[in-house]
Amino acid sequence: MSESMDSNHDTTPEWERLARGAAGGERDVDLEPELQRELLTFQLDGTHYAIAVERVREIIRLREITPMPRVPDCILGVVALRGEIVQVLDLRERLGLASSEPTRRTRIIVLHGEDDRVTGIQVDAVRDVLRVAEQDVDASGDNAGAAVAELCRRDNDFVSIIDLDQVLDFNDG
Amino acid sequence: MAARKSSAKKAGVDKAQREFVAEAEEILERMREDLGELSDQRVAGAEVDPDLVNSIFRSAHSLKGLAGMFGFEGLSELAHRLEDILDGLRLGRIRMDNPAVDLLDEAVTLFTALFTQLGDESYEAEAATRIGELVARIETAAEDPSQPQDSLDPLDIAPMLLRALTEYEEHRLRENISRRRHVLLVDTSFEITAFEEGLSEVSAAIREVGEVVSTLPSPGDAPESQIRFSLLVATETPAADLSARLEFPDTDIKTVLAATAAPAESSAAPQPPVEASAAQSGGAEAAPAETGSGEVPGDGATGKGGARGGDLESLKSISDTVRVDIHKLDKLMNLVGELVIQRSAIARIATRLAADPTTSRIAAELFKTHKGLDRKLKELQASVLDVRMVPLRQIFEKLSRVVRRLQRDQSKDVNLGFSGEATELDKLIVEQLVDPLMHVVRNAFDHAIEGEDERVSAGKSREGNIWIDASQRGNHVVIEVRDDGRGIDPTAVREKAEAAGLVEPGQLLSDKDCLNLIFEAGLSTATGVSGTSGRGVGMDVVRTNLSDLGGIVVVSSEPGRGTAITMTLPITLAIIQTLIVAVGRDRFAIPLNSVLETLLIDASEIQRSERRELLNVRGEPLQLQRLSDEFGLDAPPQDRHYVVVLGLGELRLGLLVDRLDGQQDTVIKSIQGPAAQVRGIAGATELGDRGAVLVIDVSAIVEDSLRRRDAA
Repeated sequence: MSESMDSNHDTTPEWERLARGAAGGERDVDLEPELQRELLTFQLDGTHYAIAVERVREIIRLREITPMPRVPDCILGVVALRGEIVQVLDLRERLGLASSEPTRRTRIIVLHGEDDRVTGIQVDAVRDVLRVAEQDVDASGDNAGAAVAELCRRDNDFVSIIDLDQVLDFNDG
Repeated sequence: MAARKSSAKKAGVDKAQREFVAEAEEILERMREDLGELSDQRVAGAEVDPDLVNSIFRSAHSLKGLAGMFGFEGLSELAHRLEDILDGLRLGRIRMDNPAVDLLDEAVTLFTALFTQLGDESYEAEAATRIGELVARIETAAEDPSQPQDSLDPLDIAPMLLRALTEYEEHRLRENISRRRHVLLVDTSFEITAFEEGLSEVSAAIREVGEVVSTLPSPGDAPESQIRFSLLVATETPAADLSARLEFPDTDIKTVLAATAAPAESSAAPQPPVEASAAQSGGAEAAPAETGSGEVPGDGATGKGGARGGDLESLKSISDTVRVDIHKLDKLMNLVGELVIQRSAIARIATRLAADPTTSRIAAELFKTHKGLDRKLKELQASVLDVRMVPLRQIFEKLSRVVRRLQRDQSKDVNLGFSGEATELDKLIVEQLVDPLMHVVRNAFDHAIEGEDERVSAGKSREGNIWIDASQRGNHVVIEVRDDGRGIDPTAVREKAEAAGLVEPGQLLSDKDCLNLIFEAGLSTATGVSGTSGRGVGMDVVRTNLSDLGGIVVVSSEPGRGTAITMTLPITLAIIQTLIVAVGRDRFAIPLNSVLETLLIDASEIQRSERRELLNVRGEPLQLQRLSDEFGLDAPPQDRHYVVVLGLGELRLGLLVDRLDGQQDTVIKSIQGPAAQVRGIAGATELGDRGAVLVIDVSAIVEDSLRRRDAA
């Protein structure tokens, strides 16, 4: 991503704006010796979740999803994305949360993927990019191997960091 | 011996020669790179990487085969000599400091020089002389007194294991011993179901610190579900350290020969490359080991060549063929596909404008422009497709090479005949067709064609015959492999299938259905087991491979007379015409090349027989399959249905849908995501404003439906 700020904010994609906001405009790496993590935070069923920013390719508005037969329930279907056909995962369903109708704020976060594994995940709303120091991230305790492996604190709330490899692995059912 | 082909009499270079040069240039390019590397390693005095020698050996081998196939005997002969040297090198028969090694570079230079003259009649005699000379020099140089061999006696290893080593492996073992490395025997066992993965993990871990000289299955006392391997390993790491590195269960490491530190006057100790090699090699100067460093030596003995540029390695590429990564063509194809989608958007705008009287004149102009665009797009599409098309001739030539080799190895006389080698197919399909086709031909050779005595007593010709016919039928290519061998007995197949539990005793099956059971996994009609066929795997792989390409394979046979295996494939996988169908709210695209016709029927016309639904089409029963049942879709009951009649080879299936939604040019894209591979879905496509539409995998649907019928 370019460091120069685009003067025309209205046409800047939502995702880029978020990332730049997090970066705080000009970045000076030398002043930040401690290890930092950048997380994209979003909402699901009233709770805050996060995933690693590097995994995110883009964020798109909800568009028509073509359902697919013979796939697990949590696969909503496929969307056409500039010539690519990408499966969209219902993260509520995958995490075992109550399902809900999409709203105006519903977004699809498109994740990078090698070997034809680009995937979209549908979330209730995207919030922002959060930067946390590595030492402020804690293992989520006894549920190792589950979808939420780590937690971090934001003000008075906890943010659950999702283990995407776990969520996207369908081999173990 | 001359570098000659009858067609060389014609002025210029014909198409086959161009193909030859294009392919050979690529091989030479690789050889030059590898030889440069080899020379670097020799100069550095380091041990030469065996994989590098193997790679050059393979290049020389391919070059030999290629030159032979196109009838350039001289070139083939020269490549053969190179192959000999390299084979000697990799097996340790020839040492790296042999003067012949220096001639490798010179040979590659000569090859390149000869290519520029290909097809020039007046040059033939000269080419022959030069090849002859170099071959003679190689022969003289290669006469190297064989080196004393280190004894393998001190190895604490079962003689049976040693005897199982190939000549190459034995050489690698000696080489490593002479380099004072530890020789270890790693015994390990894996679950049979996962041994390939386990073995490659262990091997990879060992390769980080040493060389796996040989991997041998070992009888050992493993439990029944496991398989044991012995890996003979050469390394500078002692057994204890290696053992610490290998964190695998059930793995024992035994030291077979401990490395000795004493430096020895071993014959195989690294030596600097011998520079005086040229002196013994009969006159002309050997090329320096390093080529491409500016000056390329001219060959004084055949001065005439200079006039034509002779030995000077021209930097200009000789052929006017461009080799393109197929993925670049895919990208081009995708772009064309997207243009086609944009074009339909223009048509929709024009229709909207036409509806309004104030803009109807603009609409008419827009329609006209759209038509022109449409025509040009079709041309563009056809040209891009054309680039991807290659004739089947290349595969056929590979097959005849295989059959010739089989004939030599098994001393069985079989004629291989071809027709339709000019039939063209998409490059990607051709690539993936090689293996299944090879398998079918090998099967015919190994199992179908009887031994000579059996043939004569059956009143057949002494030699067996295999024919391969290819032809284009509409949007499909049909390839048939026929033989005049012993044929397949449907009853025998059935018995095997029953024994294997694939068919219930008493189940009603036609002879044709019985024969096609040979494509089921786990069924082999072969009584014996040979090199690559007859192990009960094979024909099912052929079917899977073809079905991945959207094709289908069927067998027919007359016991005692012969067998025919017929493969039907789409011409291209790129842009295809599809029929859009709808069930309830869901829409699907069906490749039009598999659609024979569509029928509008009344629900009452559907007849039920046992558990399947049939339709009487002009007196013939057609099995029906409801798309809603196949994919578990919501489909409100309807009075009228559309039947899409699918045809693949000889198979027919009527797919029942609610509506037809027109035809579309579509580019099938693979679906990306965690659960992307779904049986019955070939991919998806983007339909202008209508988002993504799934494309039905016709061969999967037809096969599944008909198999369910068989199983019913």
